[in-house]
Amino acid sequence: MLMRGRRWLVEIEDTDESFRCEENEHLLQGMLRMGKKGIPSGCHGGGCGVCKIRILDGEAEFGVMSAEHVNGEERERGYALACRTWPRSDLRIRVVGKMARNVLRPKRKYGFV
Amino acid sequence: MSISGVLRIGHINLRVLDMEAALDHYTNILGMKQTDADDHGNIYLKCWDEVDKYSVILSKADKAGMDHIAYKVASEAELNTYAQRIRDYGIEVAEEAAGTLLSCGPSLRFTLPSGHVMRLYAEKEQLGTAVGTTNPPPWPTDYPGIKAHWLDHALLMCELNPEKGVNTVARNSEFMRDALDFFLTEQVMVGPDGDIQAATWMACTNTPHDIAFVGAPKSGLHHCAFFLDEWYDVLKAADWMAMNNVKIDVTPQRHGITRGYTIYFFDPSGNRNETFAGLGYMASPDRPPITWTEDQLWRGIFYHTGEEAGEFTSVYT
Ligand code: FES
Ligand SMILES: [Fe+2]
Repeated sequence: MLMRGRRWLVEIEDTDESFRCEENEHLLQGMLRMGKKGIPSGCHGGGCGVCKIRILDGEAEFGVMSAEHVNGEERERGYALACRTWPRSDLRIRVVGKMARNVLRPKRKYGFV
Repeated sequence: MSISGVLRIGHINLRVLDMEAALDHYTNILGMKQTDADDHGNIYLKCWDEVDKYSVILSKADKAGMDHIAYKVASEAELNTYAQRIRDYGIEVAEEAAGTLLSCGPSLRFTLPSGHVMRLYAEKEQLGTAVGTTNPPPWPTDYPGIKAHWLDHALLMCELNPEKGVNTVARNSEFMRDALDFFLTEQVMVGPDGDIQAATWMACTNTPHDIAFVGAPKSGLHHCAFFLDEWYDVLKAADWMAMNNVKIDVTPQRHGITRGYTIYFFDPSGNRNETFAGLGYMASPDRPPITWTEDQLWRGIFYHTGEEAGEFTSVYT
């Protein structure tokens, strides 16, 4: 029987929304379960950088993530990729970069761009 | 098609964040086998149906993406001809000694207008397929995972910004045609007058593509694809991925462009992989290229819905 991990509450500061996330699932999985449209579900491997967040408050555990999207200095300031972040307490976060932009994606002018 | 010149895709060198996880993915999911490793910790793998020693190189790095892509040329004499032709085209070429690429003869290294590094070589040690050349069974029993046949092609995202006059899709395509003898099989044309080449599929063999270029804000790797026989293999491959919690981007379906049967999924570092099955059609330099217009471009990419699926444009390494 699989042990269910502890569940923590994650608040998204920008939208005043929150979701529950288990200790053994990453923040992006929890966030996607909210069923909200526009949340980019990318590579889930820390490589593409689409799920960038900033942790304002709380404890978390991190996996390896691409330095192209979160550099060392940003890490110190709380930036992380949601798919490489596992909650260890209740969290307060902000969505940044593509993650924030994607919700209001502008119309493309040239097919792919 | 070439029986001389550029023969086929040779290998792709991928940057991975976690080597152990990457190796597990390319062996137990894709069904490749490790054939070598070097002093820098790079790992070399091949698919069962490939004759050359490796088609994927994994390199540990702090960023995901592609280090370089390589194509195999029929002979060393032709390799030298290409060195000259690439230079004449106006692109610098580094001539590398044998052994610069593990188990390979001399190689050429150059940078495409899009910024991607490409190599050509004429010789790579051959280990043969897993079934041999005498009375071979149709597939090997001792390969795990989805038993991909071979590395089939790669799709490179190329900087496209028409307002600034930047179109490295068109520039790459022209270079591949004029300097390396690839031919255009399909293209997407966009813009108010439909005269901006926003994506191209090009071949040097008779498959519908050996490389593809798609316009993007920033250059990078969209995916590298591995060949499976047919539709049912694609279905079972997706089953295997789900059983193993592989992150699938787009479930089995058909591309309008190339007619391939596809799954998009990610390796554990976020590099997109594809399974590509089916012949598509018999490509040939004298077959007129197919054009997809801007209003039908998603029909071209995902034929059934005609809509963007997964994170085709927003996620790549
Ligand atoms: S989804 Fe790609 S880095 Fe998180
Ligand atoms: Fe592809």
